[in-house]
Amino acid sequence: MTSLVTASNVSKRYGDVRAVDNVSFEIEKGRIMGLIGPNGAGKTTLLKAVLGLTDFDGQLSVLGLDPFRQRKQLMQNISFIADVAVLPRWIKVTQLLDFMESTHPNFSRKRAEELLSRTKVRKDAKVRELSKGMVTQLHLSIITAIDAKLLVLDEPTLGLDIIFRKEFYGNLLSDYFDGERTILITTHQVEEIENLLTDIMFINEGRILLDSSMESLPENFVELTTSGEDADKARRLGPIHERDVFGKKVMTFEGVDREHLARLGEAHTPSVADLFVAKVKGAAA
Amino acid sequence: MIAHQLALVRRELWEHRSIFITPAAVGLVVTLLVITAYVAASGFGGHVDIAIITAQNVGETERRAALMAFLAGITSVFILAAGILTIFYCLDTLYAERKDKSILFWRSLPVTDAETVISKLLTAAFAIPLITFAAIVVAHLVNLVVSSIFVSIEGGSAARLIWGSVPIFDVWTFFLVLLIATPLWLSPFIGWFLFVSAWTKRSPLLTAFLPLLIVPMLEYFILRTTYLWEAIITRTGSLPLFRIADVSVFDEDSLRDMTADSVSLLAIVDIFKFISHPGFWIGLVVCGLFTTAAIYVRRYRDES
Repeated sequence: MTSLVTASNVSKRYGDVRAVDNVSFEIEKGRIMGLIGPNGAGKTTLLKAVLGLTDFDGQLSVLGLDPFRQRKQLMQNISFIADVAVLPRWIKVTQLLDFMESTHPNFSRKRAEELLSRTKVRKDAKVRELSKGMVTQLHLSIITAIDAKLLVLDEPTLGLDIIFRKEFYGNLLSDYFDGERTILITTHQVEEIENLLTDIMFINEGRILLDSSMESLPENFVELTTSGEDADKARRLGPIHERDVFGKKVMTFEGVDREHLARLGEAHTPSVADLFVAKVKGAAA
Repeated sequence: MIAHQLALVRRELWEHRSIFITPAAVGLVVTLLVITAYVAASGFGGHVDIAIITAQNVGETERRAALMAFLAGITSVFILAAGILTIFYCLDTLYAERKDKSILFWRSLPVTDAETVISKLLTAAFAIPLITFAAIVVAHLVNLVVSSIFVSIEGGSAARLIWGSVPIFDVWTFFLVLLIATPLWLSPFIGWFLFVSAWTKRSPLLTAFLPLLIVPMLEYFILRTTYLWEAIITRTGSLPLFRIADVSVFDEDSLRDMTADSVSLLAIVDIFKFISHPGFWIGLVVCGLFTTAAIYVRRYRDES
């Protein structure tokens, strides 16, 4: 496996605030990495560093390039969607295709037109005439038509309704992802992308709380629903988080044997959202 | 590289439709005014006839000069409009992309900040003047046709009075040179406006013009000197593109000896004087510094 992104001790401060604090991680080729964190956790800053949009301390290599200093070469092989609103509102769809064709060496107009023909986006329309969902479809079609090694999505479905969100991720998987390409995605709505991720990374207050593949989550994390005496026994095993659900205790354990826990109640693998809460609250406690 | 720049400049022209609309509107208004003037003048039938008979009788030189003045008058409106257009374009171009956040999309493409800012500089310094020039040529032709129709209706010979006399290529070459030289001479302002556009958080117009007044005032109050003010006045108030007028041409003898061929706008242009003027090169350097600053601001400022 080759790693596409390698970060070691990456930090970024704004005045006294450490937006990203000494972060190290790797993303391997062919993975879909979800970067999960609350607002202001440092997600966007970290993505900006990866995209060469901001300077930082520490070492960061993206596709073997220094993102800040070799941004032009980097952008030939990376595509990104920052937010749904960023396509210029005055541009016509055909103008956008013309512009992409003349500035992006890895853009296939044919592919973009093929993808767009499946949507309701008219080619002579201006972006300002399209609905928010259609703008996202347009943006995704453009981005998908770039033969990029890494796709970075920062809250790509913000403000879209559920139908468009489902469709967006469906198209992303069927049209873009082929096992060779790599995706780095951030979102609040973890539940919706949980099933498509191969890796997750939790970030809070600029620090990484968890960096794991999805398949190794069940080995490391167990959520136990229990009550009464068993709850006391379980508590002695050191749960990272505990909450009450309908009079029962739900505890999240890290690195505790599942078989052992199963004797004390109902053991299962936590959802990413629950695990995230457990890690954030656990780190704060 | 060149194809890249052309694509970027083309994008500017897509976004800023006013680069086409402004000269088109000016051309329309000017032509309507000229037509109105002709129609109004027709009311004084007798006088007009006399004017045309006189025109047929006066020399080639006077007719040439009159037509030249007519075309120059039309052109001056276009140049004034292009100047205002350029100021607004420069102040808007790097500001609007930050306001509507489309900068995030542009920066997701393999185009450097330097390439982008330079495309905006090229649009201001070359594309706007050249499009304005094209509009001027069209307006000249249209207004000469309108004049020909009017002269013909009144019984004059348009072929001789208009087309035989108008120094059209002299006028066009002159204004083409002027339209290329003026933005180069005023390039420090273009650079400054682009920098303000990339840098300011609000109100680019005020941010651009207030320092042009306040900084020279501070210089005067603190240092008791007026170098900056003089530099601004000299830059905006003069263009070293012309030969120093030789007063003797206005002597009666010289005027009498003047031939039609000597009625030439191009004759007063001195390109060598212009490009060998230190002010020309200093201006380009100042423009380069401000443009570099604009590139750095776009490159390094974190828009979050």
